[in-house]
Amino acid sequence: MTVCEDHWNTGTTMKRLIPLLILSLFTLTCGEKHDGVELQLWNFGGTPKFIEFLRARIDTFQILHPTIRIVQSEKSWNMIREILYSNLSVGTGPDIMNVHANYGAEFGGGGFYYAVNTFPDFEEVKSWYQPNLIESTRYGDNYYGLPCSAIAFTLVCNKDLFDAEGIAPPKTWTEFRTAARRLTKDIDGDGKTDQWGLVLLGGDRGGFAYRFAPFLFKAGLNILSDDLKKVEFNGPLGVAALKLFADMHQVDRSITPGFLAYQMSEINDLFCSNKVAMSIEGPWWRSVVNQKSPGKQFYTVPVPVPDHLIAQYETLPTLQDMVMYAISAFSKHPQESWEFLKFLRNVDADMHWVTEDFGGIATTTQVLNSPEAEKWEFIDVYRHELARARPWPSHPGIINIANNVITPWCEKAIVGDISPEEAMAGAGAEAQEILDGKR
Amino acid sequence: MKRATPYLLLFPALLFTVFVLAYPLAQNLFNSFHSVSLVRGTGDWVGFGNFEKVFQDAVFWLAFWNTLVYATVGTVLALVIGLAFALLLNLKIGPITSVMNVIYTIPWVISPVVAGFAWKWLLNDNFGIVNHWLVSLGLINEEITWLGSADTALACVIIARLWQFYPFAMVMFLAGLQSIPHDQYEAAAVDGATAFQKFFHITLPNLQSVTAVLLLLGTIWSFNDFNIVFVMTRGGPINASMVLPVLVREFSFVQFDLGKGSALSIVIFFLLISLSLVYLKIISRREPE
Repeated sequence: MTVCEDHWNTGTTMKRLIPLLILSLFTLTCGEKHDGVELQLWNFGGTPKFIEFLRARIDTFQILHPTIRIVQSEKSWNMIREILYSNLSVGTGPDIMNVHANYGAEFGGGGFYYAVNTFPDFEEVKSWYQPNLIESTRYGDNYYGLPCSAIAFTLVCNKDLFDAEGIAPPKTWTEFRTAARRLTKDIDGDGKTDQWGLVLLGGDRGGFAYRFAPFLFKAGLNILSDDLKKVEFNGPLGVAALKLFADMHQVDRSITPGFLAYQMSEINDLFCSNKVAMSIEGPWWRSVVNQKSPGKQFYTVPVPVPDHLIAQYETLPTLQDMVMYAISAFSKHPQESWEFLKFLRNVDADMHWVTEDFGGIATTTQVLNSPEAEKWEFIDVYRHELARARPWPSHPGIINIANNVITPWCEKAIVGDISPEEAMAGAGAEAQEILDGKR
Repeated sequence: MKRATPYLLLFPALLFTVFVLAYPLAQNLFNSFHSVSLVRGTGDWVGFGNFEKVFQDAVFWLAFWNTLVYATVGTVLALVIGLAFALLLNLKIGPITSVMNVIYTIPWVISPVVAGFAWKWLLNDNFGIVNHWLVSLGLINEEITWLGSADTALACVIIARLWQFYPFAMVMFLAGLQSIPHDQYEAAAVDGATAFQKFFHITLPNLQSVTAVLLLLGTIWSFNDFNIVFVMTRGGPINASMVLPVLVREFSFVQFDLGKGSALSIVIFFLLISLSLVYLKIISRREPE
């Protein structure tokens, strides 16, 4: 075959291929067409049961609003900030998304979220929710979402181990340290420790900060000053809180030695296999434990307070976290998104948060006070803690401070690389630089 | 039309190269000289400011050192193990050789992410099989917190890396061994050379260029390796196993400072370009005259 023939054959093949390619492209672009409004919903994380609920809710909404179509996409909760920033910063991304409520300051303040208080019926919708929970969605004068799953951080105590030792869940820091020490032991008698008092989520920066902050709040500390201009977590009580963990790790050896590498799955394994007695967790713990050890019993109690504040055990706040549903500021259909948001988070929908276990607490006043809520395990302690719990301060730099400042400094102190005093001084200085806009 | 046809046919590939390679590279270069944040968008020209920030960051120097250790130790050990297995396979002791060849190659075909997770569980301090075996054999008294300790985390990711890379070295060495002329060994045998002498005076010199190529490729790939470290330790605990590619992610998508992340990418890029040039030089030397 000559070169010319070769060219000719290639040309003929191309001529045959081109119509085929055009036809393929035409077929691909002629998918299901929808004449109405299409909304993109990005769902970050969630239990399989919750995702199932979400799908059912979307189906019902679409039946009620035939002109609106919701396209649901599942995204990784662990990469939520990266995903949102990389999309929203260029004006793309979803119409609706579930996020941490404290993103309101960072993303709302950055102009990425739609201020939902601009909708005329917002005041009515606002009245559905517990006042302190809807306030967590606020930054400045605006509200940037509707509350979804509320979280109060508590101490979970392994019932098998506590009952076997004959001790009650701790209320003060001394009791906490003593309980951890007593529950750290060599169970099989081979001369090695195989059960520890406490486990920390050290391999997840955000996770660690969220578990350390309740101890700061329970010590009566603020993370930042009320005007959000000064760091306040690094005072003497902050140092004392950090020293508590450092002593437990270095002196008592009652914290699992490998905690710096642990993610949630390791903590769950250790708890379910009775290798640890305590962990600082939230309302997701029942469903997490049920995955590995269905029906395993544990106590859920408020995070311990410093000894001198025992009189305020019932009233000192823990850390409140919350998931909210927000609308993108770049959404072309904010009104339709708002309609869907209301449907997704109305009282009827919220009832599922107590009749099914979605790993969070209901947020509407009506549901939290309903007879159905009474049946939810641990509702008393969570309702009590949630009523007083405080969110991270509403500052755009707070996630950065929590994940990239508080966690690394505190972890270094716990393992003994530096002293608690040095850690708090370093963390305080870095956090202050963030507040001052120098970092 | 005929003259234009080759260019037309090349056009899709060129377009692909521009969008997938040239544009991101140019954008990265642009970002490295600007104050770019995912939060605040693109800001002013900062000259070498981002590079200064990178070099002034203590974590960069830690990550740089870790990357050097990770790349060199991981590659050298992988080469030693790869050569040992290649020598064994080259003995061709019956059909078992083919079976072992396949078995030894398995780590190479496993996804680094899957390998990372597997190693993470193998090295788990409480439930991992490695601790279980070491305790059972009496080699250690207490479980070691492999990934949770700053003393051992880097060593663990290096082990995982060499486990992934040695099969490639093995296959390359095996090909090299099979191309060594047999008469060299016969002549050495006539002269009364021992097995060790044959290995050091015939085998190793003949494998010199393969070794050089493997060393460079291994170093380049290890320098670029993100998956295993990220899955196993995310650079922790407390940055103890932080390597440069993971630090790029840290700067860009944790601190959201794209300018600093891009500057670090450029630094890595030039380091790798230098290594690649050496590699190309070696390759060109091997080309027949």
